Amino acid sequence: MRETDPGYVPPKVMPSPILSASAGLLASVMMVIAIVILLRGHNAPGGGFIGGLVACGAYVVIAFAFGAKRSLKLLGIHPVTMAGVGLVLAVLSGLPSLGLGIPFLTHLWSDVPTELGVLKLGTTYLFDIGVFLVVVGSFTAFFFMFEEN
Amino acid sequence: MLTLPAIVFGALAAAVVAPWTLGRLNPRLLVLVPLAALGALIYITGEVTSADLITHQISWVGSLGVNLSFRIDAFSLLFCWLITGIGALVVFYSASYFSDNPRVKYFTFLILSFMAAMIGAVLSDDVIIFFIFWELTSVISFLLIGFDSTKPEARRAATQSLMITAGGGLALLAGLLLLAQAAGSTQFTVIVGEGARIAELPIYPFALILILAGAFTKSAQLPFQFWLANAMAAPTPASAYLHSATMVKLGIFLLIVLDPAFGSTAIWQTLLIGFGAGTMMVAAGQALRVEGFKSVLAQTTVAALGTLTLLVGLDTPVAAVATVGFFLSHALYKAALFFVAGNAMHATGISSLREMGGLYRALPLTAAAAVVASLSMAGLPPFIGFIAKELLFEAKLAGGLTALVAIALIVNSVLVALAAVVSLRPFYKGPQKPAQLRHRERISLVTPPLILAGMGALLGIIPGLASSVILVDAASAVAGQPVDTKFKLWHGLTPMLGLSVVAVASGALLAWKWRPSHAALSRVETPLLFQTERLSDGLGSLTLALARWVTGMLQHGSLRRYTLVPVAVMLAVLCFAIARNGIAVPELTFNRPYIIGLTIIIILGSGLAALTKSFLAVLIGVGLVGYALGVFFLKNGAPDLAFTQFAVETVFVVIASAIILRLPLTVGDARTKSEKVIDGTLSIAVGGAATVMMLAVLASPLDERVSDYYRLVSLAEAYGRNVVNVIIVDFRALDTLGEIGVVALAALGAFGLMRGLKIRSRKTMS
Repeated sequence: MRETDPGYVPPKVMPSPILSASAGLLASVMMVIAIVILLRGHNAPGGGFIGGLVACGAYVVIAFAFGAKRSLKLLGIHPVTMAGVGLVLAVLSGLPSLGLGIPFLTHLWSDVPTELGVLKLGTTYLFDIGVFLVVVGSFTAFFFMFEEN
Repeated sequence: MLTLPAIVFGALAAAVVAPWTLGRLNPRLLVLVPLAALGALIYITGEVTSADLITHQISWVGSLGVNLSFRIDAFSLLFCWLITGIGALVVFYSASYFSDNPRVKYFTFLILSFMAAMIGAVLSDDVIIFFIFWELTSVISFLLIGFDSTKPEARRAATQSLMITAGGGLALLAGLLLLAQAAGSTQFTVIVGEGARIAELPIYPFALILILAGAFTKSAQLPFQFWLANAMAAPTPASAYLHSATMVKLGIFLLIVLDPAFGSTAIWQTLLIGFGAGTMMVAAGQALRVEGFKSVLAQTTVAALGTLTLLVGLDTPVAAVATVGFFLSHALYKAALFFVAGNAMHATGISSLREMGGLYRALPLTAAAAVVASLSMAGLPPFIGFIAKELLFEAKLAGGLTALVAIALIVNSVLVALAAVVSLRPFYKGPQKPAQLRHRERISLVTPPLILAGMGALLGIIPGLASSVILVDAASAVAGQPVDTKFKLWHGLTPMLGLSVVAVASGALLAWKWRPSHAALSRVETPLLFQTERLSDGLGSLTLALARWVTGMLQHGSLRRYTLVPVAVMLAVLCFAIARNGIAVPELTFNRPYIIGLTIIIILGSGLAALTKSFLAVLIGVGLVGYALGVFFLKNGAPDLAFTQFAVETVFVVIASAIILRLPLTVGDARTKSEKVIDGTLSIAVGGAATVMMLAVLASPLDERVSDYYRLVSLAEAYGRNVVNVIIVDFRALDTLGEIGVVALAALGAFGLMRGLKIRSRKTMS
């Protein structure tokens, strides 16, 4: 049977032992990097979108190494749900300003004093985390959909 | 004081929460929700009747001038009493009516939401808020008519009613916006206050016709009257509530609200009187033709709505009193009769009046309620219907149009006849052996009609009870000026009494000869002019055919043609821009070696992608182009962009290869030679045009005002040093929110599609 014939089923790809062995470490490192990218985004190159893409890469590594089913279980939450949660977080980040009578999505900041110095916290972080979750959820959803089929 | 928004939103919240909490304990406990609303309304009665009008406002979308503003006068208070009072009876009734139906919670949820929406619409002072509640009632009506969703006729009736009432709603929105524009405010109170000035504007006739289209569709006036007859596919408690006592009167209510502003204009009076009288006549004719218990009630309801429309069109104080009196009496007797119909149909399983008979032995209390309610419908003393009908005759006599009096006489005779038919035929006449009964009379099913019928009798015997509490104030609110009470049982020997006697006598004759006249009439074809239902159905199927044709044209399923169209459009736009702005070439320097290197990589990558037959090679080629571009960005001061480019390329290549692993790696090219030539030419042309365009952009000096602004305020106002990120999450956050919304929706949509595919393929396998 040739590859161009209808009904051709490609052979199952054997999971590579090298990939399986290194996937966990690789994915963990990628995940940490993704979160760093997400959080530093406000002052240096990075942000929710890029961080989300890197995190998505981490899941893809896991999925290639251990198969779609197991990695989906590892995710703990359905990707589409994750995207929904992200969207809700982004909307929520805009609500505090509405309560103060300023337009929706005007971000608020507060200085939180800590032992190491003043921590600047803003609702932008919530918004960016929302973007992050939407990106991770949506792209992993696309990926897993094809993997499952 | 209890504020109006609190009542409206309290009712809405209770409607959403109560069915799943209180209703789980016992569906009958849900009566507490409408009763609480009724209590709140009674509590504020003194305040409402002592003032002409009370308004409450909460700022909402201030920038659009749309506020949560509410108004209440004596007439809207009366309407709200009916909505909540009958609502309570309907909830009580349906708990028993649906005792063996697990969907009772869903049903009461719809009924309670409908009640809240009605209160919201009646109390709204803002036209936008009014419109939202108005459409909400249309949607809930759609869900209730289609409650028996397994029946095709219920689905058809539901869709038809939604098409007509929601379509009318759109016209209404346009009309209300025109009025708001003319008045300079979205508030009803301001619009009515400016009414005299608006009526002089050239826009007034258009606005009026749009608003009447909304009111006439909702209140089943000619030529839209047919949807109400079909809406009888709804469960009977819903028909009693929505399609006789409340929702269909919302259109009339809107007319009454606007009447003080426009009631004296000729076009208003002509249209309302004309359409009202026409609807009365057509409905009276139809009412004699049909044989279903509920169908008869539906047609008489249409006739009553026509009467109300006509009364609003008459610009006299006595017409205002008649409007309010008839509004109240019709709600009382018609809801009672629907309950009665529900009882008879529930017990026998028969819906045709011709097949029912002798039910008084089995359902004595239902029969009693039927008789009392229909005496009020026939307009006999001492019932409230009598007072309302006397006022009606008086209003028409005062209107000075003989034709109107004649129409009123004919329609009232028909009402008398049908009142006798619906109360006597199923219970006291007909087949002597009663049909097989499914159950005996239930107390919980006869209490609601008995209460309503009893109210009609009580208010007829002691008319002062109603008029002193609310009717006079309500009539004054409708008339827009104080009116003196004419609400009493005995007016002396008046022309109205004479007309009543004639109506009752001819109605009795008609009732006696109902069977032959009904049979004769139902053989007659409806005049073509009134077959608007066929027109509406025809328009519906035409729209569907058009949609099918357009979809077939656009969704041909050929990926090549899908891609061809946007690419060709892009080429046309680019050529247009170049033709307008001319060609300009900036000074280009290739002095750095990395530029030459990257350019070569890009050319090689795109060449590979274009020429190879292997999917994997295409992927690698496109990936090369992407990474090379990323390096360009990195070298030119856009690390964020480069970063994103790399990440996107990586994820894209990984996802695409995951797909490709499932597919054969090489496929034959199915295109013909000439198709390949077209595709190639188009690609080169687009590439060339884009290059020319880019050169022209580079040749003109860059306007840096916007980027300078963001660079300046990014840290100062938004506390971020990364300007790109600050723009994304802060300055243009709303855009980003929209974009991630699209991304999430795309994932959800693709997920749903793929799941559908999976289920289908599993089915074909088994």
